[in-house]
Amino acid sequence: MALRASRSMRAVLCTLRAVPSPAASRPPRPWQLGAGTVWKLRTGPALLSHKFTEKHEWITTENGIGTVGISNFAQEALGDVVYRSLPEGGTKLNKQDEFGALESVKVASERYSPLSEEVTEINEALAENPGLVNKSCYEDSWLIKTTLSNPSELDELVSEEAYEKYVKSIEE
Amino acid sequence: MQQPALRLVRLGRVTYAELLGLQDRWLRRLQTEPRTEGLSGTEAGALLVCEPAGPVYTTGLRGGLTPEETARLRALGAEVRVTGRGGLATFHGPGQLLCHPVLDLRRFGLRLRMHVAALEACAVRLCELQGLQGARARPQPYTGVWLDERKICAIGVRCGRHITSHGLALNCCTDLTWFDHIVPCGLVGTGVTSLSKELQRHITVDEVMPPFLVAFKEIYKCTLISEDSPS
Repeated sequence: MALRASRSMRAVLCTLRAVPSPAASRPPRPWQLGAGTVWKLRTGPALLSHKFTEKHEWITTENGIGTVGISNFAQEALGDVVYRSLPEGGTKLNKQDEFGALESVKVASERYSPLSEEVTEINEALAENPGLVNKSCYEDSWLIKTTLSNPSELDELVSEEAYEKYVKSIEE
Repeated sequence: MQQPALRLVRLGRVTYAELLGLQDRWLRRLQTEPRTEGLSGTEAGALLVCEPAGPVYTTGLRGGLTPEETARLRALGAEVRVTGRGGLATFHGPGQLLCHPVLDLRRFGLRLRMHVAALEACAVRLCELQGLQGARARPQPYTGVWLDERKICAIGVRCGRHITSHGLALNCCTDLTWFDHIVPCGLVGTGVTSLSKELQRHITVDEVMPPFLVAFKEIYKCTLISEDSPS
Protein backbone atom coordinates (compact mmCIF):
# COMPACT_ATOMS: atom_id res chain seq x y z
CA MET A 1 0.00 0.00 0.00
CA ALA A 2 1.69 3.20 -1.13
CA LEU A 3 0.45 6.37 0.50
CA ARG A 4 1.52 9.52 -1.25
CA ALA A 5 4.41 11.03 0.74
CA SER A 6 3.39 14.58 -0.10
CA ARG A 7 0.13 14.39 1.87
CA SER A 8 -0.12 14.28 5.63
CA MET A 9 -1.57 11.12 7.16
CA ARG A 10 -4.70 13.01 8.20
CA ALA A 11 -5.36 14.40 4.77
CA VAL A 12 -4.99 10.94 3.26
CA LEU A 13 -7.40 9.43 5.75
CA CYS A 14 -9.94 12.22 5.26
CA THR A 15 -10.19 11.44 1.59
CA LEU A 16 -10.19 7.70 2.07
CA ARG A 17 -13.23 7.43 4.33
CA ALA A 18 -16.18 5.81 2.56
CA VAL A 19 -18.27 8.98 2.23
CA PRO A 20 -21.38 8.57 0.05
CA SER A 21 -20.75 10.47 -3.17
CA PRO A 22 -21.35 9.98 -6.87
CA ALA A 23 -18.70 7.76 -8.38
CA ALA A 24 -17.63 10.47 -10.79
CA SER A 25 -16.60 12.92 -8.10
CA ARG A 26 -15.16 10.39 -5.64
CA PRO A 27 -11.63 11.43 -4.69
CA PRO A 28 -8.87 9.09 -5.82
CA ARG A 29 -8.04 6.42 -3.26
CA PRO A 30 -4.39 5.42 -3.26
CA TRP A 31 -5.17 1.90 -2.11
CA GLN A 32 -7.48 1.15 -5.02
CA LEU A 33 -5.84 -0.20 -8.15
CA GLY A 34 -7.85 2.08 -10.39
CA ALA A 35 -11.35 3.14 -11.32
CA GLY A 36 -12.05 -0.21 -12.92
CA THR A 37 -11.28 -2.28 -9.83
CA VAL A 38 -14.76 -2.61 -8.36
CA TRP A 39 -16.09 -3.57 -11.79
CA LYS A 40 -13.63 -6.38 -12.43
CA LEU A 41 -16.26 -9.00 -11.67
CA ARG A 42 -18.21 -7.91 -14.74
CA THR A 43 -15.37 -7.77 -17.21
CA GLY A 44 -13.79 -11.08 -16.21
CA PRO A 45 -15.10 -14.55 -17.10
CA ALA A 46 -18.65 -15.06 -15.92
CA LEU A 47 -18.63 -16.83 -12.58
CA LEU A 48 -21.91 -18.58 -13.20
CA SER A 49 -21.11 -21.54 -11.03
CA HIS A 50 -19.87 -19.47 -8.09
CA LYS A 51 -22.13 -18.71 -5.17
CA PHE A 52 -21.13 -16.02 -2.69
CA THR A 53 -21.52 -15.11 0.95
CA GLU A 54 -21.61 -11.66 2.48
CA LYS A 55 -18.34 -12.50 4.21
CA HIS A 56 -16.78 -12.54 0.72
CA GLU A 57 -16.20 -16.26 0.35
CA TRP A 58 -17.29 -18.13 -2.79
CA ILE A 59 -18.06 -21.80 -3.29
CA THR A 60 -18.46 -23.95 -6.38
CA THR A 61 -19.73 -27.48 -6.21
CA GLU A 62 -19.40 -30.50 -8.44
CA ASN A 63 -20.79 -33.91 -7.58
CA GLY A 64 -21.09 -33.02 -3.92
CA ILE A 65 -17.50 -31.73 -3.70
CA GLY A 66 -17.22 -28.08 -2.72
CA THR A 67 -14.35 -25.72 -3.51
CA VAL A 68 -14.10 -22.57 -1.38
CA GLY A 69 -12.14 -19.38 -1.93
CA ILE A 70 -12.32 -15.63 -1.34
CA SER A 71 -13.66 -13.00 -3.70
CA ASN A 72 -11.75 -10.36 -5.61
CA PHE A 73 -13.19 -7.74 -3.25
CA ALA A 74 -11.74 -9.62 -0.28
CA GLN A 75 -8.29 -10.15 -1.77
CA GLU A 76 -8.05 -6.46 -2.63
CA ALA A 77 -9.16 -5.47 0.85
CA LEU A 78 -6.42 -7.65 2.31
CA GLY A 79 -3.54 -6.50 0.18
CA ASP A 80 -0.63 -8.83 -0.49
CA VAL A 81 -1.33 -12.12 1.26
CA VAL A 82 1.73 -13.48 3.03
CA TYR A 83 0.34 -16.46 4.92
CA ARG A 84 -2.66 -18.74 5.13
CA SER A 85 -3.89 -20.72 8.13
CA LEU A 86 -6.19 -23.57 7.05
CA PRO A 87 -7.85 -26.46 8.89
CA GLU A 88 -6.79 -30.10 8.82
CA GLY A 89 -8.47 -32.60 6.55
CA GLY A 90 -11.43 -34.14 8.29
CA THR A 91 -12.42 -30.93 10.10
CA LYS A 92 -16.20 -30.62 10.17
CA LEU A 93 -17.54 -27.13 9.73
CA ASN A 94 -20.96 -25.66 10.27
CA LYS A 95 -22.15 -22.85 8.06
CA GLN A 96 -20.41 -19.62 9.08
CA ASP A 97 -17.81 -21.35 11.26
CA GLU A 98 -14.41 -19.76 11.08
CA PHE A 99 -12.17 -22.14 9.13
CA GLY A 100 -8.92 -20.24 9.01
CA ALA A 101 -7.34 -16.90 8.33
CA LEU A 102 -5.34 -15.12 5.67
CA GLU A 103 -2.60 -12.72 6.66
CA SER A 104 -1.51 -9.71 4.71
CA VAL A 105 1.30 -8.12 6.61
CA LYS A 106 0.18 -7.23 10.13
CA VAL A 107 -3.48 -8.11 9.54
CA ALA A 108 -4.93 -11.58 10.07
CA SER A 109 -8.36 -11.84 8.50
CA GLU A 110 -10.66 -14.72 9.47
CA ARG A 111 -12.41 -16.78 6.78
CA TYR A 112 -15.82 -18.41 7.19
CA SER A 113 -17.32 -21.59 5.88
CA PRO A 114 -20.14 -20.80 3.45
CA LEU A 115 -21.92 -24.07 4.26
CA SER A 116 -21.86 -27.05 6.61
CA GLU A 117 -19.09 -29.15 5.17
CA GLU A 118 -16.16 -31.41 5.95
CA VAL A 119 -12.70 -30.43 4.81
CA THR A 120 -11.11 -32.99 2.47
CA GLU A 121 -8.21 -31.05 1.04
CA ILE A 122 -6.38 -27.77 1.59
CA ASN A 123 -4.54 -25.91 -1.14
CA GLU A 124 -0.89 -26.78 -0.54
CA ALA A 125 0.24 -24.39 -3.29
CA LEU A 126 -0.64 -21.51 -0.98
CA ALA A 127 1.86 -22.63 1.63
CA GLU A 128 4.72 -21.81 -0.73
CA ASN A 129 2.98 -19.03 -2.59
CA PRO A 130 0.33 -17.29 -0.50
CA GLY A 131 0.37 -14.37 -2.94
CA LEU A 132 -1.57 -16.59 -5.39
CA VAL A 133 -4.68 -15.47 -3.52
CA ASN A 134 -4.17 -11.98 -4.89
CA LYS A 135 -3.38 -13.10 -8.45
CA SER A 136 -6.02 -15.75 -9.03
CA CYS A 137 -8.64 -15.69 -6.32
CA TYR A 138 -11.30 -17.56 -8.34
CA GLU A 139 -9.18 -20.36 -9.74
CA ASP A 140 -5.72 -21.35 -8.57
CA SER A 141 -5.99 -20.07 -5.03
CA TRP A 142 -9.00 -21.95 -3.73
CA LEU A 143 -8.53 -22.43 0.00
CA ILE A 144 -10.24 -25.71 0.87
CA LYS A 145 -12.10 -28.55 -0.82
CA THR A 146 -14.93 -30.13 1.09
CA THR A 147 -17.78 -32.57 1.03
CA LEU A 148 -21.07 -30.87 1.69
CA SER A 149 -23.10 -32.01 4.67
CA ASN A 150 -26.27 -30.24 3.60
CA PRO A 151 -26.32 -29.25 -0.10
CA SER A 152 -29.66 -27.45 0.29
CA GLU A 153 -27.77 -24.69 2.13
CA LEU A 154 -26.46 -23.65 -1.32
CA ASP A 155 -29.87 -22.08 -1.94
CA GLU A 156 -29.18 -19.59 0.84
CA LEU A 157 -26.13 -18.21 -0.97
CA VAL A 158 -26.23 -15.59 -3.69
CA SER A 159 -25.18 -15.42 -7.32
CA GLU A 160 -22.29 -13.38 -8.63
CA GLU A 161 -24.68 -10.64 -9.72
CA ALA A 162 -26.32 -10.31 -6.31
CA TYR A 163 -22.92 -10.41 -4.62
CA GLU A 164 -21.68 -7.64 -6.91
CA LYS A 165 -24.67 -5.50 -5.91
CA TYR A 166 -23.90 -6.17 -2.26
CA VAL A 167 -20.26 -5.14 -2.67
CA LYS A 168 -21.32 -1.95 -4.43
CA SER A 169 -23.71 -1.13 -1.58
CA ILE A 170 -21.06 -1.49 1.10
CA GLU A 171 -18.52 0.49 -0.93
CA GLU A 172 -20.81 3.50 -0.83
CA MET B 1 -23.73 11.43 9.22
CA GLN B 2 -23.45 10.93 12.96
CA GLN B 3 -19.97 10.10 14.18
CA PRO B 4 -19.53 6.55 15.43
CA ALA B 5 -18.80 6.22 19.12
CA LEU B 6 -16.47 3.88 20.92
CA ARG B 7 -16.63 2.91 24.56
CA LEU B 8 -13.33 4.08 26.07
CA VAL B 9 -12.03 1.46 28.47
CA ARG B 10 -8.96 2.67 30.35
CA LEU B 11 -7.50 -0.33 32.10
CA GLY B 12 -4.43 1.30 33.62
CA ARG B 13 -1.73 -1.24 34.43
CA VAL B 14 -3.04 -4.73 33.79
CA THR B 15 -1.69 -8.13 32.85
CA TYR B 16 -1.80 -9.06 29.19
CA ALA B 17 -4.18 -11.88 30.09
CA GLU B 18 -6.68 -9.39 31.48
CA LEU B 19 -6.47 -7.29 28.34
CA LEU B 20 -7.07 -10.35 26.13
CA GLY B 21 -9.94 -11.52 28.30
CA LEU B 22 -11.69 -8.19 28.02
CA GLN B 23 -10.96 -8.04 24.30
CA ASP B 24 -12.58 -11.45 23.87
CA ARG B 25 -15.70 -10.34 25.72
CA TRP B 26 -16.07 -7.31 23.46
CA LEU B 27 -15.45 -9.43 20.37
CA ARG B 28 -18.17 -11.88 21.35
CA ARG B 29 -20.57 -9.05 22.00
CA LEU B 30 -19.88 -7.25 18.71
CA GLN B 31 -19.60 -10.32 16.52
CA THR B 32 -22.98 -11.69 17.54
CA GLU B 33 -24.91 -8.47 17.04
CA PRO B 34 -27.12 -8.22 13.97
CA ARG B 35 -26.20 -5.94 11.05
CA THR B 36 -25.43 -2.39 12.10
CA GLU B 37 -28.36 -0.64 10.45
CA GLY B 38 -31.12 0.06 12.92
CA LEU B 39 -29.00 -0.50 16.01
CA SER B 40 -29.96 1.87 18.78
CA GLY B 41 -27.23 4.21 19.88
CA THR B 42 -24.08 4.92 17.97
CA GLU B 43 -21.73 2.54 19.79
CA ALA B 44 -19.54 0.85 17.27
CA GLY B 45 -17.16 -0.92 19.62
CA ALA B 46 -14.64 -0.28 22.35
CA LEU B 47 -11.23 1.31 22.65
CA LEU B 48 -9.16 -0.67 25.13
CA VAL B 49 -6.08 1.17 26.36
CA CYS B 50 -3.65 0.01 28.99
CA GLU B 51 -0.05 -0.35 30.11
CA PRO B 52 1.19 -3.93 30.50
CA ALA B 53 1.96 -4.74 34.12
CA GLY B 54 4.79 -7.12 33.31
CA PRO B 55 7.02 -8.27 30.46
CA VAL B 56 5.34 -10.40 27.80
CA TYR B 57 6.42 -11.56 24.36
CA THR B 58 3.68 -12.33 21.87
CA THR B 59 3.61 -14.11 18.54
CA GLY B 60 1.11 -13.81 15.72
CA LEU B 61 -0.84 -16.03 13.34
CA ARG B 62 2.37 -17.03 11.55
CA GLY B 63 4.16 -17.69 14.83
CA GLY B 64 7.45 -15.87 15.23
CA LEU B 65 9.27 -17.78 18.00
CA THR B 66 10.71 -21.28 18.05
CA PRO B 67 10.11 -23.49 21.10
CA GLU B 68 13.74 -22.93 22.09
CA GLU B 69 13.37 -19.15 21.90
CA THR B 70 10.15 -19.38 23.90
CA ALA B 71 11.87 -21.34 26.67
CA ARG B 72 14.75 -18.86 26.73
CA LEU B 73 12.41 -15.89 27.03
CA ARG B 74 10.41 -17.53 29.81
CA ALA B 75 13.67 -18.15 31.66
CA LEU B 76 14.25 -14.39 31.54
CA GLY B 77 11.08 -13.94 33.55
CA ALA B 78 8.74 -12.94 30.74
CA GLU B 79 5.44 -14.44 29.70
CA VAL B 80 5.18 -15.76 26.16
CA ARG B 81 1.75 -15.75 24.50
CA VAL B 82 0.40 -16.86 21.17
CA THR B 83 -2.14 -14.56 19.55
CA GLY B 84 -4.09 -14.64 16.30
CA ARG B 85 -3.03 -11.18 15.15
CA GLY B 86 -1.00 -10.40 12.06
CA GLY B 87 2.73 -9.84 12.44
CA LEU B 88 5.47 -11.91 14.04
CA ALA B 89 7.08 -11.61 17.49
CA THR B 90 7.07 -8.52 19.60
CA PHE B 91 7.42 -7.40 23.20
CA HIS B 92 4.97 -5.68 25.52
CA GLY B 93 5.82 -4.36 28.96
CA PRO B 94 5.69 -1.51 31.47
CA GLY B 95 6.21 1.88 29.89
CA GLN B 96 4.37 0.90 26.73
CA LEU B 97 0.98 2.22 25.62
CA LEU B 98 -1.15 -0.65 24.33
CA CYS B 99 -4.21 0.30 22.33
CA HIS B 100 -6.66 -2.32 21.06
CA PRO B 101 -9.59 -0.82 19.14
CA VAL B 102 -12.31 -3.48 19.02
CA LEU B 103 -14.47 -1.81 16.42
CA ASP B 104 -16.90 -2.54 13.63
CA LEU B 105 -15.19 -1.51 10.38
CA ARG B 106 -18.56 -1.04 8.70
CA ARG B 107 -19.63 1.58 11.22
CA PHE B 108 -16.45 3.52 10.50
CA GLY B 109 -16.66 3.08 6.75
CA LEU B 110 -13.13 1.73 6.87
CA ARG B 111 -11.45 -0.90 4.77
CA LEU B 112 -9.12 -3.14 6.73
CA ARG B 113 -5.93 -1.65 5.34
CA MET B 114 -7.14 1.85 6.15
CA HIS B 115 -7.64 0.79 9.75
CA VAL B 116 -3.94 -0.14 9.80
CA ALA B 117 -3.06 3.20 8.19
CA ALA B 118 -5.21 4.96 10.80
CA LEU B 119 -3.41 3.21 13.65
CA GLU B 120 -0.09 4.30 12.18
CA ALA B 121 -1.44 7.85 11.84
CA CYS B 122 -2.41 7.89 15.52
CA ALA B 123 1.14 7.03 16.52
CA VAL B 124 2.65 9.55 14.10
CA ARG B 125 0.28 12.26 15.39
CA LEU B 126 1.05 11.42 18.99
CA CYS B 127 4.79 11.79 18.28
CA GLU B 128 4.15 15.18 16.69
CA LEU B 129 2.08 16.28 19.70
CA GLN B 130 4.97 15.29 21.96
CA GLY B 131 7.31 17.46 19.89
CA LEU B 132 8.92 14.56 18.04
CA GLN B 133 9.23 15.22 14.32
CA GLY B 134 10.21 12.69 11.73
CA ALA B 135 8.03 9.79 12.82
CA ARG B 136 6.63 8.01 9.79
CA ALA B 137 4.81 4.92 8.70
CA ARG B 138 6.55 2.68 6.17
CA PRO B 139 5.09 0.34 3.56
CA GLN B 140 4.96 -3.39 4.21
CA PRO B 141 6.74 -5.40 5.43
CA TYR B 142 7.78 -2.48 7.64
CA THR B 143 4.26 -1.70 8.81
CA GLY B 144 4.55 0.31 12.00
CA VAL B 145 5.86 3.74 12.92
CA TRP B 146 9.54 4.54 12.64
CA LEU B 147 12.14 7.15 13.33
CA ASP B 148 14.77 6.42 10.71
CA GLU B 149 15.55 2.71 11.22
CA ARG B 150 14.18 2.55 14.78
CA LYS B 151 10.65 1.39 15.37
CA ILE B 152 8.72 3.33 17.99
CA CYS B 153 5.32 1.72 17.47
CA ALA B 154 4.42 -1.83 16.43
CA ILE B 155 1.14 -2.82 14.80
CA GLY B 156 -0.66 -6.15 14.60
CA VAL B 157 -4.36 -6.60 13.89
CA ARG B 158 -6.93 -9.34 13.55
CA CYS B 159 -10.30 -9.05 11.86
CA GLY B 160 -13.27 -11.38 12.06
CA ARG B 161 -16.85 -10.64 10.99
CA HIS B 162 -15.80 -7.03 10.33
CA ILE B 163 -14.71 -6.57 13.95
CA THR B 164 -11.10 -5.67 14.61
CA SER B 165 -8.98 -6.71 17.55
CA HIS B 166 -5.40 -6.15 18.70
CA GLY B 167 -3.86 -2.88 17.54
CA LEU B 168 -0.76 -0.92 18.38
CA ALA B 169 2.00 -0.82 20.97
CA LEU B 170 3.77 2.51 21.41
CA ASN B 171 6.99 2.70 23.42
CA CYS B 172 6.85 5.59 25.92
CA CYS B 173 9.48 4.62 28.49
CA THR B 174 9.68 0.90 27.79
CA ASP B 175 12.87 -0.85 28.88
CA LEU B 176 14.11 -1.44 25.34
CA THR B 177 16.66 -4.08 26.40
CA TRP B 178 13.80 -6.61 26.41
CA PHE B 179 13.78 -6.28 22.60
CA ASP B 180 17.40 -7.47 22.43
CA HIS B 181 16.24 -11.03 22.98
CA ILE B 182 14.10 -11.27 19.84
CA VAL B 183 14.13 -10.13 16.23
CA PRO B 184 11.24 -7.65 16.58
CA CYS B 185 8.55 -8.39 14.00
CA GLY B 186 11.04 -10.64 12.24
CA LEU B 187 12.89 -7.64 10.79
CA VAL B 188 16.59 -8.42 11.11
CA GLY B 189 18.90 -5.42 11.48
CA THR B 190 16.29 -2.90 12.62
CA GLY B 191 16.21 -1.17 15.98
CA VAL B 192 13.61 -0.05 18.45
CA THR B 193 13.17 3.20 20.27
CA SER B 194 10.81 5.05 22.60
CA LEU B 195 9.49 8.54 23.16
CA SER B 196 11.73 8.87 26.22
CA LYS B 197 14.82 7.80 24.29
CA GLU B 198 14.13 10.14 21.39
CA LEU B 199 13.18 13.15 23.51
CA GLN B 200 15.79 12.50 26.18
CA ARG B 201 13.36 12.82 29.06
CA HIS B 202 11.20 10.40 31.01
CA ILE B 203 7.78 10.18 29.34
CA THR B 204 5.16 7.95 30.95
CA VAL B 205 2.13 6.23 29.48
CA ASP B 206 -0.10 8.33 31.74
CA GLU B 207 1.40 11.52 30.34
CA VAL B 208 0.76 10.60 26.70
CA MET B 209 -2.65 9.02 27.16
CA PRO B 210 -4.70 12.26 26.89
CA PRO B 211 -3.00 13.49 23.67
CA PHE B 212 -3.14 9.95 22.28
CA LEU B 213 -6.90 9.84 22.78
CA VAL B 214 -7.24 13.27 21.15
CA ALA B 215 -5.26 12.01 18.16
CA PHE B 216 -7.40 8.85 17.97
CA LYS B 217 -10.67 10.79 17.94
CA GLU B 218 -9.32 13.16 15.27
CA ILE B 219 -8.10 10.42 12.99
CA TYR B 220 -10.96 7.98 13.39
CA LYS B 221 -13.53 10.82 13.43
CA CYS B 222 -15.34 9.31 16.36
CA THR B 223 -16.38 10.14 19.89
CA LEU B 224 -15.19 8.26 22.94
CA ILE B 225 -17.66 7.43 25.66
CA SER B 226 -15.83 7.31 28.95
CA GLU B 227 -15.95 4.32 31.18
CA ASP B 228 -13.66 3.90 34.10
CA SER B 229 -14.18 0.26 34.75
CA PRO B 230 -14.48 -2.66 32.32
CA SER B 231 -18.07 -3.62 31.45
